[in-house]
Amino acid sequence: MQHCSKKYHAVVIFASMYQILRRIILIILLVAGADLGLKAQCTLRFSGQVRDADTREWLHAAVVRINELGITRVTDSLGRFSMEGLCPGHYDVVISHVGCETLYTHIHISADFSKEYSLPHASMQLGTVTVVGTLQSSMNREDLKGRELESVRGLSLGESLARINGVTTLQTGTNIYKPVIHGLHSNRVIILNNGIRQEGQQWGNEHAPEIDPYIANRVSVIKGASSLRYGSDAIGGVVLVEPKLLRAIPGTGGEINLAGFSNNRMGVLSGIMEGNLKKTPAFSWRAQGTVRRGGNAKTPGYWLENSGLSEYNFSLTAGWRKANWGTELYFSQFNTELGIFSGSHIGNVTDLMQVINAGTPPDYIRSAGFSYQIDRPRQEVQHNLIRSKTFFQTGNKGRFNILASWQYNNRLEYDKKRFQSSDESPQLDLSIGTAALDLVWDHNLIRGFRGTIGLSGAYQDNAYSRRLFIPNYRMQTGAIFWMEKWEKGKWLLDAGIRYDWRNMYDINNNDGKGYPKQQYQSASGQFGIYYNLKPGMQWYANLSTAWRAPHVNELYSDGLHHGAARIEKGDSSLVPERSNSLQLGMQWETGRWNISVNAYQKRIDDFIYLEPVFPPQLSIRGAFPAFRFTQNNAWLTGFDASVSYAWTHHIVSQTRVSVLRARNRETKDWLIQMPADRIEQELQYEFNNGKKIRESYLKARLQYVFRQSRVPATGQIEIIRPDGTKELAADYMPAPDAYTLLGIEAGAQVLVGKRLFSVSLSVSNLLDQEYRDYMNSFRYYADEMGRNIAFRIKIPFNF
Amino acid sequence: MKSAFKWLFLSSAFILALTSCKKDKVPVNEEELITTVKLNFTEVGTSTVTTATFRDIDGEGGNPPSLFETVNLLAGRSYQVRIELLNESVSPAENITDEVVAEANDHQFYFQPSGVAVAVTNLDTDGNGFPLGVNSVWTAAAAGTGTLRLTLKHKPGIKANNDPVTVGDTDIELDWDVQVN
Repeated sequence: MQHCSKKYHAVVIFASMYQILRRIILIILLVAGADLGLKAQCTLRFSGQVRDADTREWLHAAVVRINELGITRVTDSLGRFSMEGLCPGHYDVVISHVGCETLYTHIHISADFSKEYSLPHASMQLGTVTVVGTLQSSMNREDLKGRELESVRGLSLGESLARINGVTTLQTGTNIYKPVIHGLHSNRVIILNNGIRQEGQQWGNEHAPEIDPYIANRVSVIKGASSLRYGSDAIGGVVLVEPKLLRAIPGTGGEINLAGFSNNRMGVLSGIMEGNLKKTPAFSWRAQGTVRRGGNAKTPGYWLENSGLSEYNFSLTAGWRKANWGTELYFSQFNTELGIFSGSHIGNVTDLMQVINAGTPPDYIRSAGFSYQIDRPRQEVQHNLIRSKTFFQTGNKGRFNILASWQYNNRLEYDKKRFQSSDESPQLDLSIGTAALDLVWDHNLIRGFRGTIGLSGAYQDNAYSRRLFIPNYRMQTGAIFWMEKWEKGKWLLDAGIRYDWRNMYDINNNDGKGYPKQQYQSASGQFGIYYNLKPGMQWYANLSTAWRAPHVNELYSDGLHHGAARIEKGDSSLVPERSNSLQLGMQWETGRWNISVNAYQKRIDDFIYLEPVFPPQLSIRGAFPAFRFTQNNAWLTGFDASVSYAWTHHIVSQTRVSVLRARNRETKDWLIQMPADRIEQELQYEFNNGKKIRESYLKARLQYVFRQSRVPATGQIEIIRPDGTKELAADYMPAPDAYTLLGIEAGAQVLVGKRLFSVSLSVSNLLDQEYRDYMNSFRYYADEMGRNIAFRIKIPFNF
Repeated sequence: MKSAFKWLFLSSAFILALTSCKKDKVPVNEEELITTVKLNFTEVGTSTVTTATFRDIDGEGGNPPSLFETVNLLAGRSYQVRIELLNESVSPAENITDEVVAEANDHQFYFQPSGVAVAVTNLDTDGNGFPLGVNSVWTAAAAGTGTLRLTLKHKPGIKANNDPVTVGDTDIELDWDVQVN
């Protein structure tokens, strides 16, 4: 009850914060309005490339026209066109070429953007395409969209993101995937769910992002700390999960996605329905839902007992859009129930060493068959998000955005029961509520600059019941940021600053024990150069400094981590970590070559990590290695490179390489748990378009992941080898061997009546390879998933 | 527009205030916790009773165990041993031994002496006639010191005759110091 009365206090804080914020907005508006001496200019660029959909050749002399403005461009010999000086807004675009069907499309521009168009020979009318621009900047941003996104439909968000070069996953078994960007993850990566920073219990290695990837038509990763817009913590990077814009053309439409997977017999059904009213064209709506149900996964040798999953998610969006203002309300709910492989829930270190030394789970675990049943141990997670987004044009000067959101996340973890008579309740029950408000003003060109100024504030309340792992706490955060971009000729410069405050208080456990409150504040900054050397070739460099305050688990966690068989202890004297990084990159596109390289060097001072302490801690279940959070200086350096070459208009090969070195600068040793180097080779064949079948392709992918040989040389964990010898090591088990995986994929768009169905068939781990990955915490217990055949179909509909 | 903004802001604060209130602070699942292991020795042929105790009130992690006593035995003597498991984090203390006995078919104690001449025999059995080990007889042959590993295994549905100690999940694993005089 005492807990609740404090809530009203929070409302009062909010009300007073609101007063302050309102004043600041008024000031910003006045400043904007006062700047009358300048004529606002429209400076966005729309560029692209046009190709023949059938032969896949670039089309020379195609005509691209924006109807509303009467601007016309003719493509060059590589099919390229570019239009400058556009105002933000909606436009109808017509692309025509002698002998080809004219393409009518609709674009929404809020920033510079570039797109590839294909013109068909056949006399078919293509659907309307809505695209959102990508900002050209010195930041390294990579997208997963279109066919690439289609080919990972049905997988979890973390698993999907691993398609992006430089992004790997931190796995817990076959269901739980967290994105790792350049070796950093969890609190060091911010995930934006439809523009809102995801606030779950993301500190935990086995806490996957609670987001349905089907809401998005594009998933992007901004690598490194250069994006100041979303928060200071993102020293690893930012993941953006972005739905497409609401429908702008009157009518009702949608799509149904179906996917089936052979390995765990998982079925996925997802649907979207959306519409725009003819009578009130300002109003648009969308309803979306997904159901995923899978059973036990199978390694090449055995079933993984209790590895099923059950998930259902939905979201609703309503939008009202006028020329000068618009508002959108969004609600989403994510529900998942995940089985945790029963062979991973070990009782103590003796059990752990037994399964490691045996190299395989015990017989009574391996003898399990297929089942959809989800038993203990398991997790149940629910995430709710309500978001409202409102914008209004501030004259020609810019646009003011208000983003308000509320999130509530509940996580229940059920351990194995000690007795049949034990009650059914969970052992861990964590809930976290977050309310946040962002006020952002994007301004159009003023004296050569375009930029964004914003304020951001949030209030968070974390509560647990049952077993203590992290304490209850409340947190207030605030930030102010300002980013500008300046462009002239071939040069683009961007810079930004951000200042963050964080106040964590009311930290206590349910026995009444209090912990010291924590306050942190600091600045982040970014400066970058982007240089268009010649058409198709860009260089960029980005320098950034960012910080991350220690999170509650790093400060105060105290308890046994079951899956990892270790005791983790926080340290309340930890100070924020500071990352100074440099990124250099290049993109080069010619008719045949497409090369991109991104190299980075991060110096992280006071990098927080888990350090083993000696001696191990005695408990009723024997001695557990004890770890405490500590900090030291580190550096991470590496590069991601991708080279693709079009041998003919049909055959394209692509090579991707990702390399990372992570060192502890003080102990002169490697950092533990960093992804191994990897190389990927893809070969793709594109078929000519037929009358009924188009965009068909065949693809083979070979991935080689090196053994992670760069691990700490020594440690404090006493391990007993099968021959009885004892040794001290940094990990219970050496890093697994290198592995090679082969995958194939085939897909096409099929015209059925007037509908264009997308179908694809893919096989991952085609050779049913037995392997383990260093970044999977279940590498101690079992092999990875074996061969998995997936079938996907997308059915669009339109009324 | 200003009023819309105010409405949004206050309503989100309000919703947060409402929902985070519904959380009750439920205490730890006490019955899952075994804080204390007592070995009760009754010397065969006498009524001499001794006890050796292990106690860690806050479970794994947190504070280290507060008590871990040495087992003292006399050479050439036999002892009737009864294992007592308690959860002393609640008051009154909960007897966990009863639950082990009630679900004897899923549990088994193991006794592994090392470096000391102690033989553990006459384990009591579960309903299927498989060893349980809540009651046993310990015989100390000769003077010396060493350890005895006491393990409680949980093996629902998989308990079989002559199971090695590796089968199942470990609920207890304690290396008792043993002194035979």
